[in-house]
Amino acid sequence: MTDMITIALSKGRLAEQALDLLEAAGYDCRAAREKSRRLILEDEKAGLRFIMAKPADVPTYVEYGAADIGVVGKDTLLEEGRQLYEVIDLGFGACQMCVCGPVSLKGKLDQIPNKRVASKYPNITRSYFEGTKRESVEIIKLNGSVELAPLIGLAEVIVDIVESGRTLRENGLDVLEVIADISARVIVNRVSMKMKAQSIMPMLDALRCQLAKQKEEGAAK
Amino acid sequence: MGNYRFHTPEGVSDMLPEDCRTKRGLEQKLRTLFALSGYREIETPGIEFYDVYASGDFVAQENLYKLGDQEGRILSLRYDGTVPVARLAATLFKDTPPPLRLSYIENMYRFRESGGGRQREFCQAGVELLGVSSTQADAEVIALAISSALETGITDLQISIGQAEFFRGLMEAWEIPAEDAEEISRHIDQKDTVALEKSADRYGLSSSEKETLLLIPSLFGTYDTLDAFDKRVESPRARAALQNVREILDILDDYGYMKYVSVDLGMLRSLDYYTGMIFKGFTYEIGFPIISGGRYDNVVSVFGRDLAAVGFSLSLNLCMTALRRQDKELLQIHVDTIIGYSDEPGMRRLALEMAKDLRADGLIALVDCEGMNEEDLSCFAENRGIEQMVFLNNGMCDCEEEGK
Repeated sequence: MTDMITIALSKGRLAEQALDLLEAAGYDCRAAREKSRRLILEDEKAGLRFIMAKPADVPTYVEYGAADIGVVGKDTLLEEGRQLYEVIDLGFGACQMCVCGPVSLKGKLDQIPNKRVASKYPNITRSYFEGTKRESVEIIKLNGSVELAPLIGLAEVIVDIVESGRTLRENGLDVLEVIADISARVIVNRVSMKMKAQSIMPMLDALRCQLAKQKEEGAAK
Repeated sequence: MGNYRFHTPEGVSDMLPEDCRTKRGLEQKLRTLFALSGYREIETPGIEFYDVYASGDFVAQENLYKLGDQEGRILSLRYDGTVPVARLAATLFKDTPPPLRLSYIENMYRFRESGGGRQREFCQAGVELLGVSSTQADAEVIALAISSALETGITDLQISIGQAEFFRGLMEAWEIPAEDAEEISRHIDQKDTVALEKSADRYGLSSSEKETLLLIPSLFGTYDTLDAFDKRVESPRARAALQNVREILDILDDYGYMKYVSVDLGMLRSLDYYTGMIFKGFTYEIGFPIISGGRYDNVVSVFGRDLAAVGFSLSLNLCMTALRRQDKELLQIHVDTIIGYSDEPGMRRLALEMAKDLRADGLIALVDCEGMNEEDLSCFAENRGIEQMVFLNNGMCDCEEEGK
C-alpha cells in the first residue's frame, strides 16, 4: 500500500530548489510546478500533494501532521521550536544566524550591560543570550530591516541572518558572534514517520542519494 | 470589562452532546478494561501543590498552570497522572505491599505541550503498575495500552518501543559527560543526523562508534534492529537494555500483539524521567502520538519510597479526533419517544408514568413541557427525527409511528 504524502514547501526560492531536488531524485513534481494560485497542488498518480505555505508556517503544518514532510530553513526551525524529526540537511539556502552590531563593538559585546537586542527571531535571541551566554537581555521584536535598529539607537545589537554581509557592511555593521549555521532542512512529522514509513523512508533515501551524487559531481568539477 | 464573555480560553473547548456521549462510552469501555485487568481506579485532586511537580524536576515550570492559595503557597493544576500516583504510592499507600495496580481517567492541564495535541485541557486514561521491575510488568503495561487503543475502536495502531538505558549505557561506555549526552539525546530524538555527526566528531568517537550512534535514529524494525545493535555494542548496560526489549517482544508475541509493535531506540524524549523501556502509540490522521508510556523507577523515590514503576496514558481527545477523521462512526444521540398530553385531568400523570416505564426499558423518552397540541407535537417529532410520538387525551391513547 502506498500512502498519499503531503509536502509543505516554503514559498519562494526554497520551494523551487526543493522541487528540483525531488525531481532529480525521481519524483514527479509537475503538479507543484503549475503556475496557478491554487494553494494545494495534488497529483494522485504520483501520490504527492504539495502545499505552498509561508516559511514560518511550514513547521506548524508538519508538527500537527497536516503535512507529512516539509522543507524549511533551519532559522525557522530554531525560532519555532516545534517537535519534529529533522532528517536531512539539503545544503542550499546556506547562511548564518549572527549577532551583529557596529564594528566598534567587535570583541566588546560582553562589556555592554543590559543590552537591547532587536530581531525578527525573538526565540532564537532569547535562547542564545539566556541559554548559551547566560545573560538577560531586552529583546525588541521587529519585522524587517532589522539593521536599522542599532543605527538609530533602538538597540545596541541585532540578531539576524547573514548571507553575504553586504547590507551590514554598507551600514557600518559587522558580525560580532555566530549563533548557528543555517540551511534548508527536510522535516518529518513524528507520526507520519511511523505510519507512512513505507512511502517516506524511500523518499528520504532517494533525496540523500541525490544529494550525495550532486556533491560528488560538484567535487569532480 | 466583559470582552471575553462569549469565549473559552485558548486550548480548551466545550464538548457537545454527541462527542460527550462518545467520550463517556469510551471512558466506560476503558474503565471496564482497566478494572478487569486488576487496576483499581483512583481520583487525585485537580489542584496539587506546585512542589509535587517541581521537586523531582519532572516538568518545566512554564508548562504548569499555577495559582496561589490564601497562605501564599503555589499550587498547580493536575499536569499528568503519573506524578500524583507516585505521591500517593509513597504516602497514603506507603504500607500497602507491592505490586500496586492503579488507574485513572482524568483531565490534565498543560501549557505549551503536545500531550493532548496542543490542547491545554485534555482527558487521559492511564494506568500505573508500581513495585515490580520485571520485564513481564513492562510487557503487561504495553499490552494493556494496545488493548485500550483497540477498545476505543482504533485498529491501525503502531507502538514504538525504545529503551532509555540503551542510550545511557552507550554514553557511559564512551565517557561522554552528562550535559553533552543530553544534547546528543536531543539530536537523536529529532533524528537530526547532521548535528549527530558533528557531535561524534567533537567527542572523538571511533568510526565504528560513530556508525552506531548514527544508526540509533535510523533503524527501526523488530528483532532485526536488536540484532544489529547486539553485534555492535559491548557496554553491559546497553546490552541489558537490548535484552529487556527482546524479552518484551517475546511476551507481546504471546499476547498476540506482535503486529502492532516495532523497536525505535532513538525515542529519547523525557529522558530524565524514564529509566527503562519507553513507548509511544500512533495511528493515522492524527499528527501526535495517542499513547505514551514507559518505566520510571526514580519518580516515587522523590516522595521518599523506593518503588519501581511503569505506566502509560492514552489521550481520549486525540483518540476521538483520530476516530472521527478515520470515518469511524461515533455514537449518535436520538430520542426514542416523545409524549404529549391534553389538559384533561389525569393525562399528565399517565404521560409521566408512561415515560417512566419506557425509561425502565432503556428507551429515551421525553415528556413535552411546552403544552403542544397533537398536531404541533407530530410536527415537532418529525422535525427532530424522533421515532415515536404519543399524544394522550380523553382517557384514550393515540399512538402514531413517525418515520418507519
